[in-house]
Amino acid sequence: MSVAALQRPPSRPAATTSTAIALSGVGVRFTTERGTVAALENIDLEVRQGGFLTLLGPSGCGKSTLLRVIADLIAPTSGRAEVLGGPPSAARQRRDIGFVFQDAALLPWRTIIENVALPLEVGNGRARPGKRSPRELLELVGLAGWEKAYPHELSGGMRQRVSIARALVNDPKLLLMDEPFGALDEITRDRLNEELLQVWAETGTTILFVTHSLYEAAFLGEEVLLLAARPGRVQERVPVDLPSPRCIPMRETSAFIELVAHLRRVLETC
Amino acid sequence: MSSQAVHALPIASAFTDDAEAQARFDSMQRYLKWRKRLLPLIAVACLLLLWEGAVRAFGIRPFIAPAPSAVAAVLYAKFGLLMQNLVPTAIEALLGFLLGNAAAILIATAFVYKRTLEEAFFPVAVMINTVPVVAKAPILVLLLGNGMEPKIAIAALICFFPTLVNMTRGLRDVSPQQLELMRILSASPREVFFKLRLLNALPYLFSALKIAASTAVIGAIVGEWIGATSGIGALIIQATYNFDSPLLYATIVVGSVFSATFFGLISWAEHRFLKWNAGRAS
Repeated sequence: MSVAALQRPPSRPAATTSTAIALSGVGVRFTTERGTVAALENIDLEVRQGGFLTLLGPSGCGKSTLLRVIADLIAPTSGRAEVLGGPPSAARQRRDIGFVFQDAALLPWRTIIENVALPLEVGNGRARPGKRSPRELLELVGLAGWEKAYPHELSGGMRQRVSIARALVNDPKLLLMDEPFGALDEITRDRLNEELLQVWAETGTTILFVTHSLYEAAFLGEEVLLLAARPGRVQERVPVDLPSPRCIPMRETSAFIELVAHLRRVLETC
Repeated sequence: MSSQAVHALPIASAFTDDAEAQARFDSMQRYLKWRKRLLPLIAVACLLLLWEGAVRAFGIRPFIAPAPSAVAAVLYAKFGLLMQNLVPTAIEALLGFLLGNAAAILIATAFVYKRTLEEAFFPVAVMINTVPVVAKAPILVLLLGNGMEPKIAIAALICFFPTLVNMTRGLRDVSPQQLELMRILSASPREVFFKLRLLNALPYLFSALKIAASTAVIGAIVGEWIGATSGIGALIIQATYNFDSPLLYATIVVGSVFSATFFGLISWAEHRFLKWNAGRAS
């Protein structure tokens, strides 16, 4: 796919059907005991449907906050956010948004299959089943046979796979991932990165992926959005010029190494 | 697969490809299990023997300290009387347990949803809790009369506080990410309570219930010390005034066995219903 199509969008306020996310001038301020803090300031962002954008930046740059504005978990204090052609709350209520948290956030009293099926049970009849059953999704994330286990019996990587399966159970058009592999060892992380790209190819969902890791950001994204801290703002949007589908050995190519070096340089100015 | 996942495999199939090793492993497991059960029994038996020996060797008179054999004889001879007195105590303890814990769970729920209520009434609960049981008992007898009611009330009061504190914590200590998940799923407040908060509170609740199981019996017994004609507490007082030490000890044994059984029942229920909590408990 052409990278040019993913370049910074023209300043067109109305979102078309091919736009998954359109933010214009979004700002978020938190009031704390020591005064107000600008977590995000004047964010303009457009993401096409089916795209994969990674968000990279130093701690406190508002990456997670940005994800939460899109997921309707935080209301922006200024600006306008549009998700799938409407307000974020409408997208959330239609179950068009899947969210993967940093610590998997599984319910320990539910078996694995019950955890994946949770979105089908709650939400006052908004529980529309997706194309794949919870069982098929567990197969997709490589956990067939673990249906009856409890979360405490699983490793961190396996738990995170369950939470990805859970996020996919309503066939979301948008998958928001908040440092999902941050706590995992590198080998598990590599494997899950490749698996996530497979899931992305199979489902065609739009993915926004927050990470601390330069390598992960460059390896997964079609583009990397670099955020600067205090206040959180867009520093640069870097297209990733790597062939698709990606595989781990690609990270040893000079193109990849140059990209990571560039990201590192930009990050140092953030 | 990480080491955590390996632990998840059922122990029974640790050596699937080696039948002999599996058999050795199984018999070792059985041995360790029996050893764990038998060791405390052996220790108790040794202590009883020591006690019996000391009473006989030093010629201690029965009303000062009866020999275990004398206590056992009374347990056998007066079994009917002891059981007759256990019934009211057991009813008081059980009803107090149910009432006190039910009230604590309801009030904890109210606290979690209305912080103002907690701020207003939690200090009151603390104050009531600081009054010793022996001081509460006469007040409740004056208020509720001489029947079972004041004993039930004391047992309930004694159960109430630990459950209130634990349950409030359990309902509140839900991870922010789990709450965000429920919001993403547009869950109703009812769903958040029944599918998240309540289940999250269960391990906390069971910790409190295990404390309450033994304290409820203590509450009922202390209640019976003040104006009761039957019950374990009343029997303790009677036996003491009559210098009937073997009966006193036998009564204590019956009360303790009941208390331990109650505790065991709650532990069993915890084990049965909180299988999912095994990872955190250990």
